[in-house]
Amino acid sequence: MAITRRKFLKNTALAGAAGGAAFMGPWKHNRVHAAGSAKPIKIGLTHDASGQFANSGQAEKRGTIMAIQEANEKGGVLGRQVEYVWMDTETNPQTGTRVAERMITRENVHFLAGAIQSGTANAISQVAQKYGCVYFNTNSSSPTESGKNCHRVKFVWDGNGENFARAAARNAINAFGKNWMLIYNDYVWGQNTNAATKKVAVGYGAGVVDEVAVPVGTRDWSSILLKIQQAKPDVVAAAVGGDDFKVMRQQVKDMGLDSKPAWINNQQDWPDVYGLGADAAFGVFGTTWYHYLDAPGVGDFVKAYQTRYPTTRINVPGNVTYNGYVAMRELLRVVEEVGSTDNLKVIKALEGRKMSAADRMQHHDAYIDPNSHHVQQTIYLAEGNKAPRDKSDYFKILSSSDPESIRASADGVCGLESYADTPSYDQG
Amino acid sequence: MQAMEYDKKQTAAWITPPMLIAFAVFATLPLWIETVGLYEYLAVEVLIWVIFAMGFNLLLGYGGLPSFGHGAFFGIGAYAFGLAQFNVWANLWFCLAAAIFVTAVIGGIAALFLSHRRGIYFALMTIAVGQIFYFIASKWTTVTGGEDGMLNIKRLPVDFGLVEFSIKSNVGLYYLTFGLFVVVTLLLWRLTNSPYGRVLRAMKQNETRVAFIGYSPRLYKWSVFTLSCAIAGLAGGLFAMAQEGAYINIMSLQWSGTIVLIVLIGGGFVSFWGPLLGVIFYFVSRDVLGAYTDTWLLWFGLIFMGLVMFKPDGLAGIWRDYIGGRKAKSEQSGNPATVASGR
Amino acid sequence: MLYDLIPHIINGLALGLLFALLALGFMLIIGVMEVINLAHGSLFALGAYIALVVMTPDGGLPFAFMQPYYDLPVIPRYIIALIVGPIVVGVVGMGLEICLRRTYGKDPLYGLLLTFGAAMVLEEGIREIWGSSEYALPIPRGISGGFIAGDLIYSNYRIYAAIFSAAMIGVLWVFLNKTPYGAVIKAGAHDSEMVRALGYNLKRLRLYVFAFGAALAAIAGIIMAPIWGIRPVVGVDAVVPAFVVIVLGGVGSFWGSVSAGILVGLVVGLTAAFLTDWSLLSMYLLLLAVVTFRARGLAGKASVLEA
Repeated sequence: MAITRRKFLKNTALAGAAGGAAFMGPWKHNRVHAAGSAKPIKIGLTHDASGQFANSGQAEKRGTIMAIQEANEKGGVLGRQVEYVWMDTETNPQTGTRVAERMITRENVHFLAGAIQSGTANAISQVAQKYGCVYFNTNSSSPTESGKNCHRVKFVWDGNGENFARAAARNAINAFGKNWMLIYNDYVWGQNTNAATKKVAVGYGAGVVDEVAVPVGTRDWSSILLKIQQAKPDVVAAAVGGDDFKVMRQQVKDMGLDSKPAWINNQQDWPDVYGLGADAAFGVFGTTWYHYLDAPGVGDFVKAYQTRYPTTRINVPGNVTYNGYVAMRELLRVVEEVGSTDNLKVIKALEGRKMSAADRMQHHDAYIDPNSHHVQQTIYLAEGNKAPRDKSDYFKILSSSDPESIRASADGVCGLESYADTPSYDQG
Repeated sequence: MQAMEYDKKQTAAWITPPMLIAFAVFATLPLWIETVGLYEYLAVEVLIWVIFAMGFNLLLGYGGLPSFGHGAFFGIGAYAFGLAQFNVWANLWFCLAAAIFVTAVIGGIAALFLSHRRGIYFALMTIAVGQIFYFIASKWTTVTGGEDGMLNIKRLPVDFGLVEFSIKSNVGLYYLTFGLFVVVTLLLWRLTNSPYGRVLRAMKQNETRVAFIGYSPRLYKWSVFTLSCAIAGLAGGLFAMAQEGAYINIMSLQWSGTIVLIVLIGGGFVSFWGPLLGVIFYFVSRDVLGAYTDTWLLWFGLIFMGLVMFKPDGLAGIWRDYIGGRKAKSEQSGNPATVASGR
Repeated sequence: MLYDLIPHIINGLALGLLFALLALGFMLIIGVMEVINLAHGSLFALGAYIALVVMTPDGGLPFAFMQPYYDLPVIPRYIIALIVGPIVVGVVGMGLEICLRRTYGKDPLYGLLLTFGAAMVLEEGIREIWGSSEYALPIPRGISGGFIAGDLIYSNYRIYAAIFSAAMIGVLWVFLNKTPYGAVIKAGAHDSEMVRALGYNLKRLRLYVFAFGAALAAIAGIIMAPIWGIRPVVGVDAVVPAFVVIVLGGVGSFWGSVSAGILVGLVVGLTAAFLTDWSLLSMYLLLLAVVTFRARGLAGKASVLEA
């Protein structure tokens, strides 16, 4: 049973007043709780509710909370109830650091979960690594998350830009032609993803006619679209993210440039397209999950979501909610299996863990790479749906790629801290 | 601008009673912060922002120069600290000095473009300057790490030659910050009570008159801007250690606006201690308000609007009214702004 | 090369007209009242959301009795949105002006700060009412879609928006210069004593001018919505170029702002075409360059804001 934040605060205020009489010194000594069997397992949720990724942050929060509630309805984990405490990380690293510090040192959470933006995720994971608290990055798709900036305590659950680029580029060469133009947002995610796309495309024989870096925050794409029209490529591969992508999508459609040339958009997050109508999605793009996937369990999951969130504007779950849900569900299962909330035990059980396709409602088995902590999973290619079966059916799934064929090379540069360098962490 | 006034009298004192209270409160803070339901890291962050805000108020409150681009210099300080640590010499004092020096140099160059601007034109130009630095940091990913951030910045040991302290714990870092806070406070206190401070305040009242007396407003504006950038650099360096990383978000227009808001809420226009009150109010209220409501920004915005409308002298002004000191003179003082424009 | 350049120049001009439209309300308020209205962007966003309410059930009024209205063709709903949006936002602007009264006669910084707070409140209010997700404003079929003429591919809506902006600029100019109301407003900008001497109520004049400025922000918001999309932070996207245009053009100058808008449009459009990665920065560098040599922008006059 999840307690509300207000109630929670009251509880801690009382606890604080009681414990205040005896000053306990540094937090380390504070951790020795009487580990009674009734003590709930507490999860710290670090989902954004404001800033650029507010919308996606709330979508993944619905997924993680759903998994927690389902676990509680089945009698909890280790016979204990699972609680959560959520704080807005504001799509902001500074807030991410503070929230993570507060979650660990004051709320005494057992685990942390939630992130969209890579900077915020990095801020949280550095704090988590310092204390040893296991942290699930549920939705960042920057290749650096499970590459250069990986950590022993961090697990990355979304496919990254390189995965999507590999899945898309391979298929697009044959279908659309060899004259490619590359457009990317001039920041880390865009630069990395573009480099991956280029490597794959050139590897399969494509020629790059032009490569355009677009500043983050660009609100007018007309000049760039004119440039595309002048260059007349067969394919435009775009690594454009966030609000920039939304604006670009709008303007591409407005100019009628969405059908020719062929567009390859790296990834389309469901909360970023939902509500705009079935014709909003354009080009070919990647996703990890879709609510009309032809896979077992999908329909039941959608129904369960709708029962739990009857009034939410986004009334079907998408990839972001899905990632949050499967990540949290797996965490709680692992805790049950190892019989403990001890960080190293949980980490070791997660490393190399195999998750069946049927269980994850995808087409290929997934597993957690023990060397990068990146979940290797099915990537689907999709396009806008011209024959939707209902109002929510925006995508047409074109193909699925098995994890091995689209493995990100960025994961190879990950150097995890040793077990010995990772502090032992268990809130009991 | 008679509505906004510090104590007229300057003082030769190095230590004052409010200073002793502030030092005592902050010196003991880690001992009781958890008892009041907060946590050590918050104390570190608050104190770093106090340093930043007090340096900023030298520019805003004493100089009357509203900069809406100061977040950029805080960010530059953090990056400079990280770069010095990674590429030159991983020594605490050296890296802090580098953060101060680099930020002061960049701020000094920016100030060349700003020092002949007045009033709102100054404010608007600082927005442009801040945006330029933000843009460069965002684009130059090989150096700054872009939105991923510059990561793994170490909390370097405090090295006194013979003895060395670790600041890996939040309490350790807190006391380093506290030491620097004391130093910065004393320096700023003496500076604002020096002839330099007097010219600065006079310039805020009437720039033309100051020029007539023979002081160069440009030189004073340039120097005060550079100085406040140097302090922002120090705060940025400390913040890089607190977060063990440097991130670009702090350089955005939003945060540059936030520091103005913090200082004014505290009452930076009427009190040396205004920025300190503002920072405490901002961070504690957002932590507490944020725990009770998802829409804390809405409430915070409303409180802010109310303060600007009814208590433009901020918390320090309220405090002053409350202790029955000299009443804050307000609306009845005519239209000083028009007079000051000298047209 | 020149042949390649022409489409980009046309695009830059169209873009410039949109930038000028963005800045109109901002210019009016700063010129007449000497208040930097940082809530301009939020009022802009609010205008777009109000249009959304007027045009689609997604906007928050999904009631059965409204259905016959939503079944109307797009064009009448669009026209109603262009009327209702500015009125509602104008009323909000009046509320803001009443709050602002307490800052008159003080440092202009206080007006700026109050509107900064108001921007925060408005943006959060929008988030509370409509959520954080993206909305799209439907547009009449006649002005949607794109066309290709040789190398120039262009959107019909942009042509419409540019013409609309030019018309708004013209209407505002005629209003300010050829009507008695305009004369009073302009008098208010130069000398508030004169307005009083002429027997006008300065208090009421300021109320109406602010409402008018807010309404102009709303119109810009509705016009830009199909190009930028609708989300709570869209206001920040609007206020920054508006301020660049005003400072560049010179506070208090009508044609200064309009020509600055077009200049910014051309510079941003051309850098986006040929030096894409510097396109955002170009706007600020232009500002810095111009203001370094011409302290009051292209055509600015001395004002209280320099105090």
